[in-house]
Amino acid sequence: MSQPRIVESTLEFPYSRTLGPVVGAFLSGLREHRILGIRTRAGKVLVPPLEYDPNTGDALDELVEVGPQGTVTSWTWVDEPTPKHPLDRPFAFALVTPDGAATAMVHAVDAGSIDRMSTGMRVQPRWRAEPHNMIDDLACWEPAS
Amino acid sequence: MAEQCAVIGVGQTHHKKRRDDVSIPGLLREAATRALDDAECTWADIDAIVIGKAPDAFEGIVQPELFLADALGGAGKPMLRVHTAGSVGGSTFIVGAHLVESRIHERVLAISWEKQSEGNAQWGLAGGRSRGIGAGGAFAPWIRAYIEKTGAPEYIGWQVAVKDRLNALKNPYAHLKLADISIEKVKESAMLWDPLRFLESCPSSDGACAVVLTNEANGKRASKPAAWVAATAVRSELGAFPGRDPVRPLAGVECAHDVYRQAGISVPRQEIDVAELYVPFSWYEPMWLEGHDIAGPGEGWKMVESGDTELTGSFPVNASGGVLSSNPIGASGMLRFAEAALQVRGLAGEHQVDGARTALAQAYGGGAQYFAMGILRSQPA
Repeated sequence: MSQPRIVESTLEFPYSRTLGPVVGAFLSGLREHRILGIRTRAGKVLVPPLEYDPNTGDALDELVEVGPQGTVTSWTWVDEPTPKHPLDRPFAFALVTPDGAATAMVHAVDAGSIDRMSTGMRVQPRWRAEPHNMIDDLACWEPAS
Repeated sequence: MAEQCAVIGVGQTHHKKRRDDVSIPGLLREAATRALDDAECTWADIDAIVIGKAPDAFEGIVQPELFLADALGGAGKPMLRVHTAGSVGGSTFIVGAHLVESRIHERVLAISWEKQSEGNAQWGLAGGRSRGIGAGGAFAPWIRAYIEKTGAPEYIGWQVAVKDRLNALKNPYAHLKLADISIEKVKESAMLWDPLRFLESCPSSDGACAVVLTNEANGKRASKPAAWVAATAVRSELGAFPGRDPVRPLAGVECAHDVYRQAGISVPRQEIDVAELYVPFSWYEPMWLEGHDIAGPGEGWKMVESGDTELTGSFPVNASGGVLSSNPIGASGMLRFAEAALQVRGLAGEHQVDGARTALAQAYGGGAQYFAMGILRSQPA
């Protein structure tokens, strides 16, 4: 009998995360099919919103609605999705800047084919049927109709 | 000669079992903005940030200092993470003070935190496995050894548990508010790790603490009184080695002697007006009084028995309510320094010790093996 050289050791522990007033409001907005950003003192709208201006540390509290449509500013195609990917068919990971926002957010774009993807393309949100207070309540983006 | 370091801002959160009203960044910002307001500073006035917390496994965020940099106004500024187990809040304060004393930075924000409700500290302490005995399980045999060595009566632990909880009633930020605490209640509470009972143990808290540290010129210019850092020291030793005395660890003895020497203190019992000691389990009050040579061998528990360590006693310990009343682990050590600073600034409010001019702050961690200590004074040297 051969000598064992390796044993498996799996760590798993469920953590919880408190959302706070700003990320909590963002997720509540997604449930209502609204995308919320937050305005900095310099007038830039950050999406997803933060409790603070990342450049200065100043507290922020002016939530504003953006979108619903947005523009793809960069993308990469996933031809063979794995079970951990957000979609079970070929899709794009993209940076999408919602209308009215100064920042882009990473998300999946369900374009069906790489031929439909382009930088600068217009996209619209597709909402998850049963919201669960996670970022994928905005299930993905799709080409604007 | 080194620059003198002044504490011009102190801030802490309301500590609670579960602060589900704030995010982790929000929790830190609550303490930080209070410290900035106290120091009459803004985020832009801060030159560097030192951040400390206990193991990352407690919240499950690896290197949280990276995630928190922006939330602390850290864009483009030097930021340093400190980790020395339970003593980390004290070590974080000391690293911040050194950055000022060495003239590397003019204004430093030192901040420490824990959000225990987001995970399970006992699981985290056990390295992610279900075999942990918890901190109380580790310390109980040493506490038993102290009791046997000194002949201390069992009620000494109960007395400390009652005293700290009564002090906490005077501290608006304290977690536990046990207005009906009594010797009887402590004595009748469940035995957790013999001889430690439930009410002789610290709570699990969410909380943060922050201080603004600066140089002599800014300290003297501040409109509120500053606390002056007269001495700082850290010492560590292995958790187990032949000949180790875990009841009176050598690292703790040497750390204490170092700060007394730096501050020119020869009789700590007489020359220190108030002490904030890291006492997560009641018996650690007499054990540190002896372990830091404030009391002679076998004399620490007598200081407790006679009431000397009460708020109005001759040597008040943990006027804030201490770790027994609030334990956001990563912040608990810094809270000792922050509360010591408030005492010598005369800004401790209802739990102010009259005429406090010299304060001792102490934190320990691991298996009573990491020590961080400081002496704070109402006047610069």
